[in-house]
Amino acid sequence: MPHSPDSPDLLEAIIGVAPGSSLSQLRALRPEIVRHTQGSHDVLLSPADPGGLPLGERALVAARVAELSGHPGLAAHYRSLLAGRDKPPQNQRLDTILRHVERVTVAPGTALPEHIQALRDAGLEPQDIVALTQIVAFVSYQVRAAVGLSLLVQEKAV
Amino acid sequence: MTTKRFTLEAVEWAPWLPPVTPETATPAQRTALEASPQANSAYFRTLANDVDSLAERSPLFHAVMYVPRGLKRAERELATVIVSIINGCVYCSSVHARRFVELTKQPEIIRALYAQGVDTPLEPRLRAIVDYAAKLTRAPAAMTVADLTPLRAVGMDDLEIHDLSNAVAMFANANRLMQTLGEPIVPEEPKPAA
Repeated sequence: MPHSPDSPDLLEAIIGVAPGSSLSQLRALRPEIVRHTQGSHDVLLSPADPGGLPLGERALVAARVAELSGHPGLAAHYRSLLAGRDKPPQNQRLDTILRHVERVTVAPGTALPEHIQALRDAGLEPQDIVALTQIVAFVSYQVRAAVGLSLLVQEKAV
Repeated sequence: MTTKRFTLEAVEWAPWLPPVTPETATPAQRTALEASPQANSAYFRTLANDVDSLAERSPLFHAVMYVPRGLKRAERELATVIVSIINGCVYCSSVHARRFVELTKQPEIIRALYAQGVDTPLEPRLRAIVDYAAKLTRAPAAMTVADLTPLRAVGMDDLEIHDLSNAVAMFANANRLMQTLGEPIVPEEPKPAA
């Protein structure tokens, strides 16, 4: 789903940046960041062809990263995406995926080749593993970008 | 677990998944690789396994690190080195520490950060940048508006702070890709002269 310039910007909606406000104008000084932050979200969470990583798993993984990173607003966004999708079945595949997601989110320096092998043994192809890692990495980025923007919003409000 | 050896020398990277090769690349993968900073690197060829996310990430990374005005490039590079030290990313810290040194000619700042950690004494503006980058990396949920006060005290404006947050955020991303899809190959410790 390519991002159209007319569709609402997720980060601004979640943080509560009013259209036309000084912070909306600040973000507009970096149009490529706005465009490709939203674009990354769209291709990772709602790809036209999800390959071997179904849309439900993608939304669940993103929700988990937002929760582990302590961002309730983004967690709620991904939970609501998940609610409109087929819920991933609870099984060993999902356990393996979520264990890896937690490691990459909270302790990325502890990953080992056998963790990639475990994902392959659970049926994920190289493209699926890269997409899974990109989702964890993207939400880790998004949480910090959102917090940075929120601080500026709060500072203006005092 | 062995201690990580952060370095100012060039570090290689070995993937844990088969990278896309020039012979196997689809036209879309070839286009995305040509738009990435180094089309031939094993890292970008590994990311090209999921081509649509690579095609969005390369222009995002470029805008965060290199778009003019706002936070100085050297200060963006410093922020990414701090994030990479905290997350343990030897490869990312090597690349961006060398960029910082190219821009500032101040390798001693990097050596102090490597040797003593991110709390090593620094001049006030760098101290404020480093503290903000460290806390946003470790504990994004604990950030409050008071964390902006030291940045304002050294004269930073909204655009500089926005750029700083985005650079920190971008390396939350880069460190996770780099450390969990492969591993750094660090050159041997130089032998003492005979």
